[in-house]
Amino acid sequence: MIITLSILSFLLAYVSVLTITALGGMFSEKSGTVALSLEGSMTIGAFSSGVAMYLLPTYLPDGLCAIIVILVAIISSGLYSLLLALACITFKANQTLIGTALNILSTALAVVIIKQITITEALPVGNSRLSFNRFYEIFNFNLFGLQGVRFNWLIFIVLALIPIIYVVIYKTKFGLRLSSCGENPSSADSLGINVNKTRYIGVILSGLFAGFGGLLLISMNAEWEFANGASGFGFLALAVLIFGQWKPLYIFLGAFIFSLFKTLSVVYPSIDFLANLGISSYFYLALPYVVCLIVLVFTSKKNVGPKALGVPYDKGKR
Amino acid sequence: MNKIKSFFTSFIKKDATKTVVTSLWCALLGLILGFIILLIINARDAAFGMTSVLGNYLIFSSHSDRLNYFGQALAKTAPLIAMSLSILVCYKAGLFNLGGSGQYSIAVIIITLLGVGANMPWWFVLIIAMIGAAIWSMISGALKAFFNVNEVISGIMLNWIALYLTNGILSSNTSIWDSAHSESYRISSGSNSFIPSIGLEHVFAGNQIVGLGMILILVVVAIIYILFKKSTVGYELKATGFNPDAAKYAGINYVKNVLIATAISGALAGLAAVLNLQNGFTSWRLSSVTPEIGFQGISAAFLGGLHPIGIIFSSYFIIHISEGGSMITDLGFAPEVASIMTSVIIYLSGFTAFMKEMIRKNEIKDELNRLNREKEKKS
Repeated sequence: MIITLSILSFLLAYVSVLTITALGGMFSEKSGTVALSLEGSMTIGAFSSGVAMYLLPTYLPDGLCAIIVILVAIISSGLYSLLLALACITFKANQTLIGTALNILSTALAVVIIKQITITEALPVGNSRLSFNRFYEIFNFNLFGLQGVRFNWLIFIVLALIPIIYVVIYKTKFGLRLSSCGENPSSADSLGINVNKTRYIGVILSGLFAGFGGLLLISMNAEWEFANGASGFGFLALAVLIFGQWKPLYIFLGAFIFSLFKTLSVVYPSIDFLANLGISSYFYLALPYVVCLIVLVFTSKKNVGPKALGVPYDKGKR
Repeated sequence: MNKIKSFFTSFIKKDATKTVVTSLWCALLGLILGFIILLIINARDAAFGMTSVLGNYLIFSSHSDRLNYFGQALAKTAPLIAMSLSILVCYKAGLFNLGGSGQYSIAVIIITLLGVGANMPWWFVLIIAMIGAAIWSMISGALKAFFNVNEVISGIMLNWIALYLTNGILSSNTSIWDSAHSESYRISSGSNSFIPSIGLEHVFAGNQIVGLGMILILVVVAIIYILFKKSTVGYELKATGFNPDAAKYAGINYVKNVLIATAISGALAGLAAVLNLQNGFTSWRLSSVTPEIGFQGISAAFLGGLHPIGIIFSSYFIIHISEGGSMITDLGFAPEVASIMTSVIIYLSGFTAFMKEMIRKNEIKDELNRLNREKEKKS
């Protein structure tokens, strides 16, 4: 019973991390900018909130601390995504190149700064790992009061956001305008929509959500090794976004399938039937990515992505 | 005098010169930002830290130490050149190769099994490793050509699959795995699989990791240069990259070209592993993130202006400052400062297209002004 519940809470946490990050990426891609830097945004969210968790004094009340940490995560990664917007929207740079640069930069920044703040007398070079036991207790409560079953309440925020995002994208003026900038920016512009401004908003929103995803990811644990960045979850979210065909509900479904296999790689030793098969743990680790590739084969034939995705808007070409 | 002047203006107006100038600007800005970060971390040692990063081996006082580390920098540059060429070939064909790390890992498996495990001749290991990586890379190409799967995403997925495959295969085999250090055994200098150092070690103070690989990589650079400059294959690849639909209309086989591009770039990524492992310099270390070199290759390729010759210099530059970065740990700086500098430089090199466009617009403006003035003179 306890094992089943803890597997379930693992699964839900992974689903939430991937869903919220992929939904963030959706805002960026629907407006026409490739969201390759999701990994970097997550890393920045994770790292800045990690530093906040490490530095916040213990005399502050828990609730206030939690709010500060959440705000730090989303604001820092929102600001970081401005770098992407500036290069790709204003200066029309190659979006894959800039995304890659921001992914490398985020991890390097995180490691340099964390090594700097963890320097002690005994450890003159510092360490890229941070532990935050207090916040593990704050963010994860014991489900039904059961010992050993931890449940992260940030998941509820994600679950509440999904219907809101759905409504914003499909039912509001802003959402429809956003999509029009990714489908046909010239006609959007001719109707008086400021394409570049809308794209900026899309990219910044993706940063905010990815930053939250980064916080949720590390708060599932009591410590995090920042040299690994966001452990590739940003890339997974991007894959989820593509095989979810840029639609919120499919994205949720995609995140669920993916998380199922991801959870399997963590919990398979505690499932007797799977543990007895004697298959290498690396097989289970690789499995989600293999499944993702196979799903992509079946869903990519018909290109349903935003038509102007990855193409900078040039007014002169109208 | 006029001749010299006209030669000079035409030199400045050349596209290649613009590329070099903008790349140098990017590098300079990146270094300045790195210096600022060092200043913030520790103002007292920042200047010395920066000198170490830029000076790298030059800060050693002994002549043989300097030569030795210069050799090491060159030996590390060769694989990066190979990886950058891999990115370049795909880019010319309109594909973005983010799967370089995965292709590299697959070659590492082959090199370790055949080289460390079976002690096969070095040229045989080299060929098989390159073929293996090429086949792995062609998975991405085939998915793109037949199923329209975005090559960036499939490349990233294949990176992770290759990572776990490499970790799993190498660590389960005790004859090649050093479990005490959780890394695979290195290829020793006496073994058959060691790339011969053909006497070059005497030039570099006995540093045996410099060897035939140096000459090999220069030959490969020349081949890639000729491929795109002179050959039909290269022309078709470029045409496919420039406008796939027009290329199809002109009778160029799209599927064939995507497969060729991914195969060549995979083989080059495999060569990067060969040049890194078969001189006994490194081995595979158990890791939970994909090898960095695949992304470094993107940096070098773009900083080098996507030109085979430019890539030689940009690769050396990136290795030079990241090696220099590893020397500043004694001062209390994290070596990743160098990684910040390189990523800022790649970020800035994204602006080169825009910068070149600005230069071009200025030139057009100047030309128009000149014509107007002439017109006024006449009237």
